[in-house]
This record gives sequence, structure tokens and C-alpha cells, in this order.
Amino acid sequence: MRALKGVSFELQPGEVHALLGENGAGKSTLIKVITGAHQADGGSLFVAGGEVVHLTPSKARELGIACIYQQPSLFPDLSVAENIGLRLQKTGAFSRVRWGRQRSRAIDLLQRIGAEISPDAEVRSLSMPEQQLVEIACALGSGARIVIMDEPTASLTQKEQHLLFKIIRDLRQGGVGVIYISHRLEEILALADRVTVLRDGESVGTNPVDELTESQLIKLMVGREVSSIYPPSEGEPGEVVLSLEGLGCSASGVGGVTMDVRAGEIVGVAGLIGAGRSELARILFGITPADTGGIVLNGERISITCPREAIARGIAYVPEDRRRHGVILEMPSAHNMTMASHPRLFPGNWLRFNAESLLAREFIRDLGIKASGPEAPGGSLSGGNQQKVSVARWLATRPKLLILDEPTQGVDVGAKSEIHRIIRRLAREGLAVLMISSDLGEVLGMSDRIAVMRGGRLVEWIGREQADAHSVMAAALGTNGKDAA
Amino acid sequence: MSRFSRELTVAGALGLLLLILAVFAPNFYHLQPFISRLTSQMPALVAAVGIALVIISRQIDISIGAQLSMCAIIASVAAGSGLPLGAVILTSMGAGVLMGALNGVLVAWVGLPSIVVTLATMVAWQETLRLWQQGRMLALPEGIQWFGLSQAAGQTAVISVSLTIVIAAAWAMKNLALGRFIYAVGSDAEAARLAGIDPRRTTFGVFVLMGVLAGLAAVLNLVQSPQVQPNCGDGLELKAIAAAVVGGVAINGGRGTLWGVLLGLLLLANVNPALTHFHLPPYWEKAIQGLVILLAVLADGLGRRKRPR
Amino acid sequence: MVLLLVIVLEVILFNSLGRRFLSGGNISNVFRHSVEIGLLALAMTPVILTGGIDLSVGSMMGLSAVLFGMMVNSFGVDPWLAGLAAIGFGALGGGLNALLITRLNLPPLIVTLGTFSLFRGLAEALTKGAESYSAFPKSFLALGNSDVAGLPAQIWVFLMVAAGIWLLVHRTTFGRSFRAIGYSAEGACYAGIPVARNTSLAYIIAGAVAGLAAVILVARLGEARANAGIGYELLAVTAVVLGGVSIFGGSGTVSGTLLGWVSLAMLNNGLTRISDYRIMDQTVASVARELSGLLTGLLLLAALAIGAWTKNLATRRARGQSHPENPPRSSPP
Repeated sequence: MRALKGVSFELQPGEVHALLGENGAGKSTLIKVITGAHQADGGSLFVAGGEVVHLTPSKARELGIACIYQQPSLFPDLSVAENIGLRLQKTGAFSRVRWGRQRSRAIDLLQRIGAEISPDAEVRSLSMPEQQLVEIACALGSGARIVIMDEPTASLTQKEQHLLFKIIRDLRQGGVGVIYISHRLEEILALADRVTVLRDGESVGTNPVDELTESQLIKLMVGREVSSIYPPSEGEPGEVVLSLEGLGCSASGVGGVTMDVRAGEIVGVAGLIGAGRSELARILFGITPADTGGIVLNGERISITCPREAIARGIAYVPEDRRRHGVILEMPSAHNMTMASHPRLFPGNWLRFNAESLLAREFIRDLGIKASGPEAPGGSLSGGNQQKVSVARWLATRPKLLILDEPTQGVDVGAKSEIHRIIRRLAREGLAVLMISSDLGEVLGMSDRIAVMRGGRLVEWIGREQADAHSVMAAALGTNGKDAA
Repeated sequence: MSRFSRELTVAGALGLLLLILAVFAPNFYHLQPFISRLTSQMPALVAAVGIALVIISRQIDISIGAQLSMCAIIASVAAGSGLPLGAVILTSMGAGVLMGALNGVLVAWVGLPSIVVTLATMVAWQETLRLWQQGRMLALPEGIQWFGLSQAAGQTAVISVSLTIVIAAAWAMKNLALGRFIYAVGSDAEAARLAGIDPRRTTFGVFVLMGVLAGLAAVLNLVQSPQVQPNCGDGLELKAIAAAVVGGVAINGGRGTLWGVLLGLLLLANVNPALTHFHLPPYWEKAIQGLVILLAVLADGLGRRKRPR
Repeated sequence: MVLLLVIVLEVILFNSLGRRFLSGGNISNVFRHSVEIGLLALAMTPVILTGGIDLSVGSMMGLSAVLFGMMVNSFGVDPWLAGLAAIGFGALGGGLNALLITRLNLPPLIVTLGTFSLFRGLAEALTKGAESYSAFPKSFLALGNSDVAGLPAQIWVFLMVAAGIWLLVHRTTFGRSFRAIGYSAEGACYAGIPVARNTSLAYIIAGAVAGLAAVILVARLGEARANAGIGYELLAVTAVVLGGVSIFGGSGTVSGTLLGWVSLAMLNNGLTRISDYRIMDQTVASVARELSGLLTGLLLLAALAIGAWTKNLATRRARGQSHPENPPRSSPP
């Protein structure tokens, strides 16, 4: 099967052109072809009217194509100025490095995008969003005519996001064509001039944004109607499963978190990136143990110092980064599913293959995992199915509390609603669920209560009835909502 | 600047050691033996410069000792056949280029881990020498020892060539694009690729450069005695790696300076005279060297722990 | 599969060059002389599965051998008790590696390069660079030179260790976790696997088995010297990599390691024995004997290259096969 088959795409100067599609629709592959990282095996590519053959990354750069990737790809050991310099200056191996010029150029570029970053700082000391701003400075400095942004807002704070939108509008004004990739429809509707939807490696249409609504866009992406996006909440919550009393960990910058989570309840945890949500989850899971406050689980006061202990206590954590932490891609799905339950499933440390395969088959059926069998390696599954394997791993531990960190990030729309139904069902069966999410719609649609975090603290509780996008965003930003649009 | 804290620490330790020697063993500083000791460390210094570049580019080369032996034997065979000194030097460096290029091709283009590749080539060269020379010593013709100069002038030549190489390499690593490419590739190869730097070519180049320096180190070693042993490079890899690691070259690539390497080598080189002076027998050398490597990585590990992440 | 073929080819080649290669005496000789390397290869397998490497096992053999010889010769310790102690010292050395690697997160390569030098250096220092120990009771030397039930005595020890490592790697949760750690240490940590503890176990086992190998080597040679096991770490890594264990960690089997070891042992023995064969003149024969080390290096490179090549093929196939992110979307829900 091919990743791309017959894509037509056209970018005007001074246009923000959004590229939209489910995961695996071919967006990343298309970007790789445009930036020369992959070679197309058919069709042609024109830049400014001239056909380009055998595009390489350096040739793409000469043509004025710049790309800002999700994961900043900078040199952690080098200074900001040198990072920008290496990216912008194509030099021969034996030419002199002009440190002064490099530095002043970096200062100039960083000022132009309004980033307060020292040019002498080592990149490893910068935060993720700061690194992304450095990437943008590189793109700006390269005098690019075509700027590609691959989910640039994924790790930006609200303030940086505003900055980014301003930069994009400036670029458009300056006649630069911007290809903008995002899963967030509201961003696309607010920012883009036209949108091209990809589906199964093909372009299914390019339309001016003014002519489209959100649901039309979704329909274009999946090729079918998505009836109800979120399953309804039902039933009454039961006993308190988890209570936190002023929990904190100075190393991860979280402090004074007090909350209760009941059986059968989904508590959404909202907040901006860097608000301490994943950090809270890692404290509960024992990766960065708490140093202040207490944890009471099922009425028993406990301390958790390592993941193994958390698991033994009935706490499960489906991590944010699926491919790095959630699933071991090379190992069979069955092994992935039993990995967190070794002590329970394999007493005396002896593997029991029958029990393992039985359990895997059950989960594959139960969660609707599309896999060729228990032996299928995690990496051979689609993103949504990988996420289900990750969830299965944690259900196999028979947890009392399930912590989900961005459960549907990077998952396509169809799998997303399936995962939502699974979460809802688990809650109905009596599991206490703590769901961290940056997807506002997901938080609002799924949560019985919403805890909003800001600056490492839990700042506000919002009940299901009072919750709307405005109130959650306002709490997360710590304003009266003037900034939140 | 905290960036040079390692260099300052090593300089401090070296200063302290030299001070201790000055107080307790003033004859350590008698000019002639002092110069001789320094001269005998120069081949290791040149090799350490090479290995530092390799480690900065996030690779390792443990075949350099065997490379040096090979180059020395090839050079002495060339000298024995009557080639002039200049041609002998070029032969030695040429042999280094070929051996470095073999490592480079296997690591950069075939994509094999450098540790195993160079482990294998180390054995291959060692065995080749064993097979070829059967442990025989080779006598060198007249005019090779001390480059045909007097001993004092020869020693000056060896030391000045070596220091020139350190200074030139340190300058190039800081001020030439090539040097920054090496740091860049070692820091993040994927980012380097995106910045239009070819990590494979850079890695290959670093291994070839390592070969050149091994060839040169072989010559600098060769000229110091009237004959050559086929195992003259044994253990050099450990010495050079230890100097680089002690001097603050991060084993994970991307960080370190050649000044640190110079200081690290001088520190290590003076540990042994100090030990001898305090009556520790010489067969402790290898154990001490291992200990120093472990202490240096330990310091790195502890330092990394403290750094906020 | 390929390895089996290689072994068959070796047998045919060496057998055609002389009659005695396949004789029972020679076959048991092949194994008697390479048991130590086989043990190290077995011990190295879990370590490499975790994505690490242990370059210090050969030096650990030297140190254990010297300590063992010292205990028996200078302090009159019973050799069997001293043997157990030597295994214990090996485990301690492995523990030092494990401590530095897991607690301080240092790269295994440089840590074990350091202990490679340290252990050998200690062995040399203890023997003042030259001494050796050779007064061992006959009953102990029998371990290295006699047959039990038709097989060399040490082969029985080897088989027990092989069975133990096989069970560990393929039948316990430890083996499963070694793979998980090798593929992704962070991922294993997030799955609640005690990464530091299990990685340490691999290095401690490697050290202990190196100690055992030292005792067996001393029993065979009748002498304990500081240079015991020099270069064995390379042969062990070669056997493991030849056997298809990925040097990057995660995949590989104990049976693969065993096959890699057998093919390597036969190659060395076959080449060494060529000198006995009359059909070759003397220079060729001596060249062949000397060639075995060189060929080992080349064999390792070839095995690595093939490994990297098939890995490339596999990833390419996985990418091309069913673009994983893109399942067919034809069936309506």
C-alpha cells in the first residue's frame, strides 16, 4: 500500500493554506516530499512555475521551502545563535565561522518574532515552546517563500500561540505562502484562507475556509457523518477512590493539589501546556514521587515511590507519548498488554503463554482492536489501535484508578470516538478515571467534573453543568476570560 | 563560565599534582628527563585529539592502538626499503587514512555501531600484525630516529608538531564550519541532516581524520627509538579515551574542547610519575587508568544528575 | 538457518581437508577448548538483549582466575570453595558495572571499558605483572581435562548454565523485561518494569558466569594467570551477534547464541588443525592457524553487516506493507 497516491495541492503567495486529514491520511508524507526528505515516485512538483526534480533537503531550502516540525530538531549542545546560524548559512566545510555576525543576526530574528530568548543560551536549557520559537526564527531568517508548520500549536502556551498567529499573519502580509497543519479545526477556521483535505493519501478537495463549517470539514475528513461525538454521561458516582491532600513535588513544580476522585466518575484535568497536569500524573504513578502532602487510596493512606508500587496499589497511567512510553512498538501486542501485570499474571516470574494469549484475545475483542492477532507487533497497528493496546495494558492490571494522559492525541476521528465510548464504559463499570486533556471539546464532552490546573496548582473546579469552553479557558489562563477567544 | 568548568577543574587538579611533585619530588623537574617524559606522551596526545573528535561526533574508535601499530610497522618497512623520511611519513599517514576509511564506511554508510566495528577492526589489525611480524622487532635505518636530528632538536620537533596539531585542531573546532559540523552531528544527527549537513560524510571524515592522526602519532612514536615493536600501539586507545573523557568530552557527543583533552592527557601522564615517586609499583598502571576513566564518567554522571532537567 | 548451513559447510570443508575433524575425539576437543567463550557468550546474551554491552567479562576472567589461584595456593582454601568464591567475585564485579550503569545512567560501553582496564589491571597488580599459580589438586584439574559420561566434564557445567540462561531469557518475566528494556528502556519504565533492578541482574549474571569461566579455564590449563581470557570478550560478542542477537537490543535467542558459538568454535578449531594435515605445505598451514583471529574479526563484521542489512529490509517492508497509520476505511461502522 502507498502512503500517497495522487495528491493535487496548490499554494498561492500570501496565502495560509491549511492541510487537514486524519492521522495517516498522508499529511506527513506530503510534507516530507515537499521538503525533499522523501522522493515522490510519480507526478510533478512545481515551485514558482518551474518544475523541480530530485528534490533534496538542501535544494528545498535553496528554493525557499522551510518547515517547522512538531518536535523541534535543534542541536541541544549548541547555543541558540549557532543553531540559527547552522540552519541559515549553507557554508563550505572549510569556511570561517563568523561568530559576531551570527549572534547579531540571531538577536535580530528573535526580536522580529518577539521571543525573549538569549542568543547565547544553550538550546538544551530552553523549554519546548521556546525551542519551537527558535525554529520559527530559523524559518523567518531563511527568507522562505513557503513555510510549512506541522501542528505548531501542539506545545505552545496561549500567549505563545497568539504570538505565533501574529507571526503567521505577518508572513502572509509579506507574500509568503504558509502550509498550516493542525488537528484543531477552530484554529484552521480562524487562520486559514483555504483548506485542502487529504483522505487515504488522496486529496479530496480544496475549498475556501469561508464556505465550510466544522462539521462539513469533519465529514470531508472521514468521508462519513460522525453522529454524536461524545457519549453521554450516565449513572451516579460511588465511593471516593482517591483523595489527594496538598500533594506536591518540588522537582516537577507541582504543589498543594487537593482533590477527590470517585468510583464511576470521570474527572477531566484541563490546563495549558506546562500547567503541571502530566507532572501530577507522574507523581501519582511514582515516576517522580511526591515530597509533600498525602495520597489516600480507598481509605488507606499510602505513599508511592515507583511505578511498580503504584500498579500494586491499583493505579494505572496511560501516558501521553504513546510511541515512546505507551507501547513498545517492536513487541507483540500480547506482550505489550501483559507488560504491566507481570506479578499478577505470572506468579513466580514464570511466563504462562496460554493465559497471556487468552487475555490478549479478550482485549482485542473487547476493545475492538484491529490487529491481525495477539502476535502483531505494536508498531504495525494504527495510532488509535496502539492507544487501545496501551489502555488494555492498564486494564489488565485491574486498576481502581485510571489516569489517562491525552488519550486521543494524534488519533483519527473514528478511533477517537471509539476510545471515548470505552472510557465512558469503564467509568460505568465503576472505575475512577482521571483524564488529562488539552482538547477542550474532549474535556467538556467527557468529564463529570473538570479540575483546572495552572502553574503547578489546582486552581478551579468546574461542574459539568457550568462548564463551557470560555469558563475552562479563563480558569486555565487565570484571567476573566478577556484573552480567551 | 560554567561551560568550561570541567577544563578549570582538570587544570586545577593538574596544577595541584605538579605542585605536589614540586614539593616532594623536585627532581621531577630536571630539564632533560622532564622533556623526555613529555616527548614520550606526544603520540598519545595526537591520538587523543583524534579520539576527541570521534567522541564529539558521538562515535567511538577503539581500534586506534592497533591502527598506530600497523602504521608504525608499515612506515618502518617503508623506511627499511630506503624511502626518504618525508615519504615514510606520508606512507604512515596514508595507511592511517585507509584504515580510518574502512571504519568510516562501515559506521557511516553501512550503519553499524562504531563500538563493534572498531572492536572487530582492532582485532583484525592486531592479528594481521601477529601473522605478518610474528612479534619481531624491526630495526630502523639511520636517519629516521629523531628525524635525523640531534636528540634535543628531535624532541623539540616532536613536541612542537604535537602542540601545533592541538592548537590547529582546537582553532578549527571553534572557528571552521567543519568543526561546528562535528559538534552538530554529535549533538543531533537528525537535526544536522535537516540543516543540510550530511552526518554520514561528517562521520566518515572524522574517522578518516582519526586515521591520519593515528598515522602521524605512529611517526612521532617511531622516531623516538631505534627499533619498532609490532605491539607499540597496544593500550593507546584506553589512554586516549581516558584523556578525552577526563578532559570533559561528553561520551554522548556534542560537547567538549581540545583544551580539556590536552589538560586531561597531561594530568593522566603525570599520575604515574607521581605514583612511582610514592613507591607504587608500575604494574598498577592499568588499574589506575581504569579507575580514572570510571571516576571521570562518574563525575559526568553525578554532574548530569544535578543539572535540572 | 543460515548459521546451521555455515556449520554444515564448516564440517564438510574441514572434514574434506583431513579425516580427523569429525572424529569423536576432535569434536569433544572443539567443545572442551571453547567452553569458556561459550559461557561468556551465554552470559553476554541477556546484557545485549537489554541494549547494553559488557566489555569487561574477559578481564573479569583474569581477575577471578588470579583471585582463585591466590586463594588456593597462598591461603590453602579448598578449590571447590574457592571456585564458588571466584563466581562470587565475578558477581561483585558485575555488580559494580550494574551500579554505575543503572544508578548513574552511564553508558555501558564506557563503564565496561573502564572496568575492562580496571579488572585486568588489578589482576596484573595482584600478580605483580608476572606471577602465576599452578599448584592445584588433581581432583580439581579433572574438571578441565577428564570426561564424564563420554563428554568433557566442563561440558556438563556448560549445559547447565545454558539451560539456566535459556529458561531465564525465554521462560521468565525477566527475559521478557530484558527485551522490553532493550527496545525502549523508557517504555519499560512506564510499564512498571523495574528497569534498574533487571538490568543489574543481567550484568551481575554476566560477571558471575565470567567467574565460573575463569575457574573452568584454570582447571583446563592447570595454571592461573593475570592474562586469562584476554580478548575473550570480543569472541563472546562475535558469537552472540553471529547468533542473530541484535546489537541494538531487544531481539535474539539463546539458541542463536549457541549456534553462533558452535560455528565460531569449529572455525577456530578447523583452521588450527589444518596445520596437522599433510595435504598442505607448512607455510600455508601456519598461515591458516594465524588466520583464525583475523577471520574472527572479519566474520563479526560480516555478521553485523548482514544484521544491519536485514534490519533495513525489515523496516522498509514494515513501512511499505500496510502503511500502519492508514487502515482501509471501506467498511462502514
